[in-house]
Amino acid sequence: MEEDEVVDGDFYLLAKSYFDCREYRRAAHVLQDQTGKKATFLRCYALYLAGEKRKEEEMIELEGPLGKSDAVNREVASLERELSILRKNGIIDPFGLYLYGLVLIEKGNQNLARTVLMESVNSYPWNWSAWSELQSLCTTIEILNSLTLSNHWMKEFFLASAYQELRMHNESLTKYEHLQNTFSFSNYIRAQIAKAQYCLREFEQVEVIFEELLRNDPYRVEDVDMYSNVLYAKECFSALSYLAHRVFMTDKYRPESCCIIGNYYSLKGQHEKSVLYFRRALKLNKNYLSAWTLMGHEYVEMKNTPAAIDAYRRAVDINPRDYRAWYGLGQAYEMMGMPFYALHYFKKSVFLQSNDSRLWIAMAQCYETDQLHMLEEAIKCYRRAASCNDREAIALHQLAKLHAELGRSEEAALYYKKDLERMEAEEREGPNMVEALLFLAQHCREQKRFEEAEVYCTRLLDYTGPEKETAKSMLRGMRTAESSFPLMDIEHFHP
Amino acid sequence: MKEEQIEKLRGVVRDCVSKHLYSSAIFFADKVAAFTNDPADIYMQAQALFLGRHYRRAFHLLNASKIVLRDLRFRYLAAKCLEELKEWDQCLSMLGDARVDEHGNVYDTKDCNVMYLDKDGEDREINISSAICFLRGRAYEALENRAQARQWYKAAIKADPLCYEALECLIENHMLACEEETSLLSSLQFGPEDGWLSSFYSCLIKKYDKESVIEAKFRELEKESCNGNSTSPSFMHTLKNDTDLLACKAEYYHQCGEYHKCFELTSILLEKDPFHLKCTLVHLAAAMELGNSNELYLMACNLVKDYPQKALSWFAVGCYYYCIKKYDQSRRYFSKATSLDGTFASAWIGYGNAYAAQEEGDQAMSAYRTAARLFPGCHLPTLYIGMEYMRTHSYKLAEQFFMQAKTICPSDPLVYNELGVVAYNMKEYNKAVLWFEKTLAHIPSLSQLWEPTVVNLAHAYRKLKMYHEATSCYERALTLSTRSLSTYAGLAYTYHLQDNFTAAITHYHKALWLKPDDQFCTEMLSLAIIDEGRSGIDPKMEFR
Repeated sequence: MEEDEVVDGDFYLLAKSYFDCREYRRAAHVLQDQTGKKATFLRCYALYLAGEKRKEEEMIELEGPLGKSDAVNREVASLERELSILRKNGIIDPFGLYLYGLVLIEKGNQNLARTVLMESVNSYPWNWSAWSELQSLCTTIEILNSLTLSNHWMKEFFLASAYQELRMHNESLTKYEHLQNTFSFSNYIRAQIAKAQYCLREFEQVEVIFEELLRNDPYRVEDVDMYSNVLYAKECFSALSYLAHRVFMTDKYRPESCCIIGNYYSLKGQHEKSVLYFRRALKLNKNYLSAWTLMGHEYVEMKNTPAAIDAYRRAVDINPRDYRAWYGLGQAYEMMGMPFYALHYFKKSVFLQSNDSRLWIAMAQCYETDQLHMLEEAIKCYRRAASCNDREAIALHQLAKLHAELGRSEEAALYYKKDLERMEAEEREGPNMVEALLFLAQHCREQKRFEEAEVYCTRLLDYTGPEKETAKSMLRGMRTAESSFPLMDIEHFHP
Repeated sequence: MKEEQIEKLRGVVRDCVSKHLYSSAIFFADKVAAFTNDPADIYMQAQALFLGRHYRRAFHLLNASKIVLRDLRFRYLAAKCLEELKEWDQCLSMLGDARVDEHGNVYDTKDCNVMYLDKDGEDREINISSAICFLRGRAYEALENRAQARQWYKAAIKADPLCYEALECLIENHMLACEEETSLLSSLQFGPEDGWLSSFYSCLIKKYDKESVIEAKFRELEKESCNGNSTSPSFMHTLKNDTDLLACKAEYYHQCGEYHKCFELTSILLEKDPFHLKCTLVHLAAAMELGNSNELYLMACNLVKDYPQKALSWFAVGCYYYCIKKYDQSRRYFSKATSLDGTFASAWIGYGNAYAAQEEGDQAMSAYRTAARLFPGCHLPTLYIGMEYMRTHSYKLAEQFFMQAKTICPSDPLVYNELGVVAYNMKEYNKAVLWFEKTLAHIPSLSQLWEPTVVNLAHAYRKLKMYHEATSCYERALTLSTRSLSTYAGLAYTYHLQDNFTAAITHYHKALWLKPDDQFCTEMLSLAIIDEGRSGIDPKMEFR
């Protein structure tokens, strides 16, 4: 049988041709009595794919109300039995192990799947599919560190990608930059770096990388949807329109292309059309994560919360590490007036992305609602938000307000002052400024720090509205008080 | 006429019989008997008449001869004629009154002076008294005196282990409980060269044993047949691939729940021997379990076409309808099967199951009760009666029936599982744990089939507040199947009870993903989410 490992047998070639024509069962049947490792793998893999194909068909046939169904791959059970025996007897090649891993994942036996995939990549490191399956099983850094992988440059790629998935973007970036020294012209690495930068929200960097990438590789569709996300976030209408038209001409039936077009329509405010394209992306690839999330966003825009929730749920079901989808779920429940649920989902997202102030603020707002009314917790959340670069500067203001509400005027004053300083530094004006000034003025007056209070009151005079009048009357009051103090003293001491 | 001429005529008769030319055989046998008036020739004539289906004539001929009561062969043939004429009482009295005890030992009262003429010239023949015992068994069975029938069958196989038919009747009609079967087998006295037969018989009996034990039995038998007959290589090969043996193996796979393996094996076997009856039955059962309605349809059509008088054929039709969930039709055909052959256990059980599937407990029970009465050695009807009682929450009664099933077949894990479920429902959780653990100890190998038992065990642990054990059991169940609502719900609830709200919420969600309108999970999820919200922020997360 060793012979057929070197020279492919006739049966193998016939089966391979059937396989290439996607006649999986036919291929498997031809190989029924072949015992070579390669033939065994092809037979099992063909059966697996036949099962997958049937599963997909059943999903469409028996589609449930939420677009899901109980369809399962019927070949998995028998394949698992066969492959486990092969592995026990030690007559299985790395590809067989890879397939065994797939089967085990489908069965939900993750620990064994990890071991098996590890064996596979250790004996044949060039099978990226095996690496990516392995990566999908490394849900925490502890698991990742517990793997025993033999040293190989493929391992570096794996680690870089795994770090990225575990949201350790800086580590991932270092790895990729290191790899770039060796593979200096790799578009893949460039795209991955862009992805890491994207997650770090360095949109300028991402834009630069993608511009270069698309110069080198103009017909690239892979990962370009991320570029469109950046353009969307920066509201670059023309660039996004150009990109959308370009990928449309390249290949409009790619999930990436559909997402880009969806983003394009969304930016134009045509949410129905946008949803249509995200739906198309999902039709092309049911497990295309970002399409689910983006579609959820669109539904939120359209105020169709149930549909949004469904879409987000699908997203977290595919990848429970997508913090945006968790956040979206939280938002949707918030819209529906279910703060307890919203809180749960915000917690999930904050667990994954603990340096995002928006998430902490969202959580805090849930704690503030009438149903929960847990202000201490809200304060904790705002404090976290304030400590991690709160772009919209909501946290400081809210912190001050909450403290004031709880009657802790010292803390409130502290935060109002901080907020004020920040507004001054960023040269922002607005009702928050007025509120801060008014509070500080009143606070200082109560503390009998009249000079400070006067400064704040004077600043208030620059604004219109009722606060201006309040400030005026306060100033007047303070001045009379000041002038009357000595009088009072005299009166006091004068019998 | 000369002696050699007569001898030649006898030869002609024998030849006619072997060529199935019965009329000619009768004609010439009559002539020979007329010439000689020898009892042996009269016997030959009677034999020819019997084969030519002239039962009344044959009986008359035998009865007219003077020696009918003295020669066992005359007597046996006469009784056979009466059997064919369905005159059972007469048949029994023809065979003479002997008594048999519970263990199949025969006490012959006054027939000790019978003579036994003209043995056939073969080396080995079935002991005539064994055949007589068997015929008595048949007669008693036809008279619906099952206890007597069983004893006579036992007597038959004891008198001669080669009388396979008696053993077949005992096994196929589920007349003996597990233990009785084993003790009967061990009491048989095989000839020195029939060791393989002993192993073969041991493979035929119920197979709820441990995997290793059964596999060893099969291996022994396969090896045995090679060693014992090393001189004839052809025989060595034939027994290993013998249809009967493989059918047994298929039945064993079916009992283990290895339906795929079983189905593959029976498919191969049926290609070799298209209507091997036992194999067909197992094949149908496996196809049912696998939901292969297409195969069932084809099988049923072919069977009905070729064997319209067989209960099995209509049973197959019933199976097909059961498989596609048309229970009304399926019931009609199961009942047709039972009316064709009242001793067809599977059809009775199918009949009951078809009622039970529509939750018509009373009718189902009456079918099961009939089955239990007819097949005292089959524990399934009793088990199903228990299940029906359980459905109506009559736990005490259910437990009684399960215990009864346990005495009939102490090695079927399903019985222990049901006992556990009853104990659980009666809130005797310690007892439930014991039963479930016993179930898991009895199963041949842990497979998806036994996932519910693992979940049950986990539920029982949870009720006992042994949360750690419960969680690990649930996890174990999840490695067997990830599509069970009750596993996720149970796991979530366990976490919830331990105040681990986040894990609880995750698992409630998983449960609801499988069944979005599950009331328990929806309510508990809301509670868990509120509890989680109330518990504030995890300090670990805050100061990370």
